[in-house]
Order: sequence, then C-alpha cells, then structure tokens
Amino acid sequence: MIRRADCLVLGAGPAGTEAALAAAEAGLDVVLIDEQADAGGQGWRAPLGSLTLPRKGADAEAGDRLRSRLAASGVDRRLGRRVWSVGGAFRLDAVGPDGAEAYEAPRLIAATGAHERVVPFPGWTLPGVIGLAGATVLLKAQAVLPGRRVVVAGAGPLLFAVAAGIVAKGGTVAAIVDMDGRLAWARRLPGLARRLDLLKEGLGWTWSILGARVPFLAGHGVRCATGRSEVEAVIVGPVDADGAPIAGPERRFACDALAVGHGLVPGGEVPKILRAAHLYDRLRGGFIPELDPYGRTTIENLYACGDGTGIRGARPSAAAGRLAGLAAAHDAGRLDAAAFTALAEPTLQVLSEYRPFADTVAGAMALRPAQVAAIDPATVVCRCEDVSRAEIDAAVDAGASDINQMKHFTRCGMGPCQGRMCGDVAAELVAQRRGVTRETVGYWTQRVPLRPVPFDTMIGSFDYADIPIPPPAPL
Amino acid sequence: MSQAPIYDLGVIGGGVVGSTLALLAQRGGLSTAILDRGPLCREASGVNAGTLTLQMTRVALIPHAMRAHAMWASARDWLGHDVGVVVCDGLSLAFTEREAALLEERAGKRRAAGAPITIISRDEALRVEPGISDKILMAGHCVVDGYANAYLTGQAFRAALVDAGVAVMENRGVSGLDRTDKGFVAQTAQGPVSFRRVVLAGGVWIEPMMAWLGVHLPIKVLVNQLSVTERIRPVMRTVVGIASGLLSLKQYPHGTVVIGGGWQGIGDRERGGVELVPERLVGNIRLACHAIPELAGARLARAWAGLEAETADALPAAGPIPGIPDAYVCGSIHSGYTSGPSIARSLADVILGREPDLPLFPIDRLMKAAPP
Amino acid sequence: MSLWRATEGVTRPAEVTFAVDGTDVSAPAGEPLATALAAAGMLGLRDSPRGGTPRGAFCHMGLCQECVVTVDGRIVQACLTPVRAGMQVRLGGTLR
Repeated sequence: MIRRADCLVLGAGPAGTEAALAAAEAGLDVVLIDEQADAGGQGWRAPLGSLTLPRKGADAEAGDRLRSRLAASGVDRRLGRRVWSVGGAFRLDAVGPDGAEAYEAPRLIAATGAHERVVPFPGWTLPGVIGLAGATVLLKAQAVLPGRRVVVAGAGPLLFAVAAGIVAKGGTVAAIVDMDGRLAWARRLPGLARRLDLLKEGLGWTWSILGARVPFLAGHGVRCATGRSEVEAVIVGPVDADGAPIAGPERRFACDALAVGHGLVPGGEVPKILRAAHLYDRLRGGFIPELDPYGRTTIENLYACGDGTGIRGARPSAAAGRLAGLAAAHDAGRLDAAAFTALAEPTLQVLSEYRPFADTVAGAMALRPAQVAAIDPATVVCRCEDVSRAEIDAAVDAGASDINQMKHFTRCGMGPCQGRMCGDVAAELVAQRRGVTRETVGYWTQRVPLRPVPFDTMIGSFDYADIPIPPPAPL
Repeated sequence: MSQAPIYDLGVIGGGVVGSTLALLAQRGGLSTAILDRGPLCREASGVNAGTLTLQMTRVALIPHAMRAHAMWASARDWLGHDVGVVVCDGLSLAFTEREAALLEERAGKRRAAGAPITIISRDEALRVEPGISDKILMAGHCVVDGYANAYLTGQAFRAALVDAGVAVMENRGVSGLDRTDKGFVAQTAQGPVSFRRVVLAGGVWIEPMMAWLGVHLPIKVLVNQLSVTERIRPVMRTVVGIASGLLSLKQYPHGTVVIGGGWQGIGDRERGGVELVPERLVGNIRLACHAIPELAGARLARAWAGLEAETADALPAAGPIPGIPDAYVCGSIHSGYTSGPSIARSLADVILGREPDLPLFPIDRLMKAAPP
Repeated sequence: MSLWRATEGVTRPAEVTFAVDGTDVSAPAGEPLATALAAAGMLGLRDSPRGGTPRGAFCHMGLCQECVVTVDGRIVQACLTPVRAGMQVRLGGTLR
C-alpha cells in the first residue's frame, strides 16, 4: 500500500515540522516522516518519555511547544520510520514498526538536518571519545553525563552548552578546550548581541562554568587522546586562529570521557540523491543545495530547509521550514500570491533578523583548513574502514582527482556511516593535497539507502513464486 | 613550443576494455593515448559487480570469458597491479522444475562451448557452498568462476598505463572526431589530440561516438541495479547465481556482499543511472536472501545503478568500423568484466597486425538495418 | 570508565535486566542500549574491522554506526535501541 499525499516532509526537526505545519494549515495533505519516535530533531529533542527531569531547558520547551502544535494539527505523523529510498517526483520507501512502507506525493520537503564534524586526532576512535552533539543528546534527553570527569573540546557554542550541562547535572568538567581565543569571541560579540535572548543563554552557560571553576583553555586544541581500551587522558596544546597547532606548552588532563566537536556539516542527502544543484559554502558547513529565498531547490517541487541546507541553528531553521511549507502550498495552488506574500513576509523578516547571529555562530563552527592540514599521517580519518590520512594522500598522489575516485582507491567513506563522519574532512584533504578548490574535488555521490537498513525488514516475508523475476537473459 | 605529438593509436573511453586495449597496443609498440571524459574505469567498469562467471555468459563468448578469466587471475603478472581478483567456484541454482530445465539446457550449451559446467545435486551443492538454501533442487557448478573488485580496476589500470608509457588523458571529454589525411583529430576542451588510428571504446556512448564518423550503430542502454551490504561475518564462499541469470552474489574477503543480476533501474545515456526502482531492489534482495538465507540478517549499505551497453543481438561490437580505414569499435560486450579483456586483446592483435587467437565480433551484422 | 546517570531531581523508570554476552546487566527500561552499556562500564563494543582497534558509541544519534551490536540475533544500532527485559545482546559488531 502506498500512502499518497499532497506533500511529504522528511525530517521532523524544527525545520521539517514547521514546514509540515505551514503546508497543512494551507490545506495540503501532509505526511511528516522521521526516524525518531518524536518530533524535535536533535536540538529540540524530546526527553525520553519515561524520564522525569527537574527543569527543562529553553530548547526542550521550544520542542514541547512545537510538538503540541504538531499534535493539534492535521499533519499525518509517521515517526519511527527509517526512510531508505528517495525517488523522483516523489517517492519515499521506509521501514517502520510494521515493516515496509511507501509514500508518494508531487511535492517533497527535505529537512534531514546536519551531523557533527570531528576533525581527527590520534586517539579519537577510543571508546569514551564522543561527539559534542552526542553529549548534548545524553545530557538533555537522557539526563546522563558522558563520564565522571569530562574534557570538553572543539569549537563553537556547543562547547559551552555541554560544559554547562555537565556542571548543572553535578558532573566534573576536567577542562574546556576551545580552539578560539578570547579575542575571537570578543570580536563576535556584536553579532551575538543581535539576539539578546540567545546571547543571554550563552552567558548563562558561561556563568555556570565560571562558578564551577572549570579550567578554560582558549586558543587550544586537542593534540591526542590516550588510553589503552578507553580514553584515559587528553593532551591539549595551543592553536592559531585557523586551527593550526603552534608552539607552546602542552597540558595533559586525566579524564574518562572526551566530548569533542568542530562544528556541523549539512547532511543534504535528499537534494543530492535527486541531483539538485549544490554549491560549496564553508561558512554554512559545506556543500549545500542552491535555494531560492523560500527553500525551492533547482528541482521542481523539491524544497529543502533547516541545517541540511547550511548551518544556522534551530530557530532560523524553524523559520526557513515555515517558508518552505508556504512555498509548497503556494506552488500547489493552495495559497494565492497575495496570501503567500502576506504569510511569508513576516517569516522572511524573522529569518533576516537571525542572520547576523546565525552567521556569527556558524563562523565559529566552520571548517578550519589549517586544522585539517595538520592531521598526522597515521591518524585514521575514515572510522568505518580505518583509512588513514597517509592513505588518502597516497591515493591522491596515485591519481585520484576527486573525492569519489579517492573513495574507490581507498574505501574511505564506503563503510556503514556512508561517509558522514569523514566526508567533509576527507574532501578537504584531497583538495589540499591537489591544491585545488573544494568544488573541484566535489562531494560523495549520494546513494540510497539514506541509512543502513536491515534486509529482513526491507523484504518482509515472501514466497519465492511471488518474486517478480524478469525473463532470463539471452543465451 | 614543441609540436603536439601524433599518436599511433587513440583510444576513446577508459573503461576495462579501452584500458586493456591501450595497454596491449602500447606494449605492442604503438604510441597510444587514452582519453576519458572522467577518471579511468569510473562508469560501467567502476560500478560493476565485477563477476567473472561463465554461467551468465553468452554461449558465443565462452572462449573469450575463459581466456579473460585467466587474464584476470594473472592480473598481477601482466597488469602488474592488484585488482582484488578472487578465483572460486560458481553455482547457478535452480529452485523450481522450470528453472531446473532451464539450467540443464543452458549448462549443456555452455559446456558444449567449452565451459567446464556440470550439474550437481542439492547435497553436492551444499557441500560446495554450505551457505545456500536447502530449498534448491539442483545447481550448475563451475570451477572457473570468481570476481574482481571493480573499485580497484581504475587505480590498477591507471598505474599500468602510466608505467607502460601510455598518454593517460583523464577528465578529457571528446566532443568530436575529425578525419584528416594523417588519421584522426579528437576535439576536446583542452585542445585537439591527433592519432593515426582510433578505437571507440565508450560503452553505452559508442552510439554517439560512432555518429562522429557518420556511422549509425544503435546501442541499447541497460540500467543495472546493484547493492552491497556492510561487512558481515562470512556467509558464503562461492559466486552464486540462479538459472535464469538474474542474480549474482558473492562476498568479498573484507566481508561485504554484492548483489546484482541485471534488475533494471531508471536512467539513460545522458544522465547515467538516475534512480533505483524500490520494488526491483527488494525483488533482487529477496532472491539473494532466498539463495543465501543468512544474508537476511545483513544491512543494506549502498545501492546504485550502472549503465550497460547492448547491441541488437546482445553480442559485442568489436572490430573495424566499415568504410572508415583505421577506425575500430570495441564494446557492448554484455559481460564486460567476464569477457572484456579477452576481446580487447583480440582487437589489439588485429590493430598490431597479428592474427587474433579468438575471433572478433565485427559490426557489419548490426548495420544492415541502419537508417541511411 | 563509564557514563553516569544524573540523579538529582531525576526520576527514572524501574530497571530491567538483560544479558550481554551472557552477563546480566540492568538499566532503566527504555534507556538507549548504548547508554545502558556504557553506564555498565561496557564502553568498547567491538573492534574495527581493519585496524582491530576498540570502538564504542560515538555520535549517540544514529549516524556513525560505531555502536552496532546484535540484539536477539539482529544487527541494531545500540543508540537507537531501547533496553527491554530479557534481551540478548552480543557485542562485536556485524562481523560476529
């Protein structure tokens, strides 16, 4: 059975959910699909249903408001579904609690979010080393601390959110290791001050960290994590503004966990599979689909919004989602030009108000080429296939001219994470080795499935006689 | 500035066929250039299942497939680089009486053409491959089987071609081919390339390439769906197919299982393999899991569609281009990995003025019905 | 060492018991298995296939595939799998 609708929305984070709500309010029959059991995405994730927490953060409350609006809407919510196939004009195949499912609609809004970038260092594959975004999930949704004594390292605002979260839950932060110097943050203040509410949130984190007397190392990066079977210590040292290690005293922090992240990378799997045009934007995290102001891609009736279209954060993503939903409704003939303009204008305004703040935060989370250049040759870049930086360099020297050819030569990016964890860094390595632009090196050819999917759930139960075997090949 | 060289031979299309040809021609004494619009072995030759099975090969190609199998198996010697070739047994399974009849008929004809295929019982087949389903009725068994790793061929051929002194011109799309009194001039965005003889080895793009010379050779485009699991524990040790030929299945030494068989996706010559048809992917995987039940516990890591060329009679286009001296075509082999290197070798022999040990497949037969 | 469940002001559901390679482990019902394993001190879940180095949950959001384990014979991502009483967990990734 195929569920046919007017509009499919893939991804129920702030962007996708707002898109679904806007399109449904305009009268479209909308199906909203996500892998998680509840809407909210990663940032506005719902705490585990069975958990009672003392106090909710601003994100959880924003998520609750979104979820209650969704519950009261006419959107057909299909959560807990793993979508594995995306087809043109438009079809999604998924596996859900009851097996295989398919959805079809003339419009598709892709809101599949972003994933974390961790620039490799020796020891980053040790158990106990986790992503900053992962630490956020543990803290906010599960009330779990990443360890007894945690080093929090990397770049961007998540550093402070995670450190403050650990302190608030009674844990110990061994050190905060921020690639940015104090000057960098001082320079960002004017941009951050454009959203006083969000700046206040950031200052709140800082206050709680100060209160806990956490060692704060500005302008430092992780040199390596050490340990036998788990992380036992982190060695850090000074870095320059571009992320390159520089001379200076190194410090060692004993710990049982390292939460580390260097920004976010837009996922954008769906527009890539459907071959929409993309462009490289380092500030926005990598390759992003070319969009009009309302989220229309270069493929007719395919829209994209949220962090998958460039890193902006949850609130701007929600606004972008609303625009995409309105555009889909307008293009479907459900909103005339006047109504569309009247509804879209205030949201465009909201989006532009967020822009200086979002750009400032994105700047802290963007890839630092010198940090990539400094990766040690023996360090594993592709975790799934254990491909080292030296092997990537060797592949380029052997003639691999783009990221996909490098993948063929090395198996880098061919494992079950489908190149998500290493792709941005691997492409940067190829570009640097060749001395060419990221555009020249390109991005992974996106394939289905969107996530690894178990065969047994895809194929269900069947009789051999029912397999539609085509006629035999010629003899 | 020095004068641009005129190569003895230009090969347009850098897949397995074009690369083999260029390598053998250069080693035979011809200065050779190979041009591809992308990197070597990245179209059909790079997204191929890489199966080297006789049990899916056209009867007329069996001698070539046998020779190509030996070439693949000895790639380290003549190519000088590893292409991950594994030589193992192959099984073609029959689950129904109809398939059993088909299997016996097809195995018989292939055996008559020289393929060492025997029909074995269910129990014998389970001894050869403990991973197969005990629901089979019988199997075709062939000891000449195996696979190459399509991901490695581009790297291997590139290194071999460069070592041999071939002018490797990757990312150099040819937009037209002019005839001159000295031979041919290929037009590219990076400037013209001249050669005395030319081989068109562009797979599904042979049809538009032939049009450069004013020759019409219809080439059908097949869009083959393929899928691969993540690394899993060993579940099989042979190449497994079914009697109808619509399954090819093997597990690589590192643990991934590649599933093919020619189930058709959506795509065309202009856009490549655009999209998979989910029902057909599911059908293909059901077939695979029916053949190797343990496979049902694996996860699909990646699926894609690659183009395959097919002539009107589904036999290769390999030989001189009628009416155009010094121009040749080589491709549309229909078992490009299994037979390709051998057919390329025969054409290289002809171009080098030797009598080939195995016959070519001249295209005159395909051009009779061509429009004027 | 291990993940650590915050206690102050947090109420969790009753614990359930499940088996990990034959050893009983308890965790609040519904907690993601990756969290429950790490909280029980089981940080290393498998060895990487090529380098043979120990790996554990990394992204905790369903992407990195580092926390793949077998539950009742099926390959699952531990970070996306809620714990249930009696589940049989086998560590070692997809190659075991």
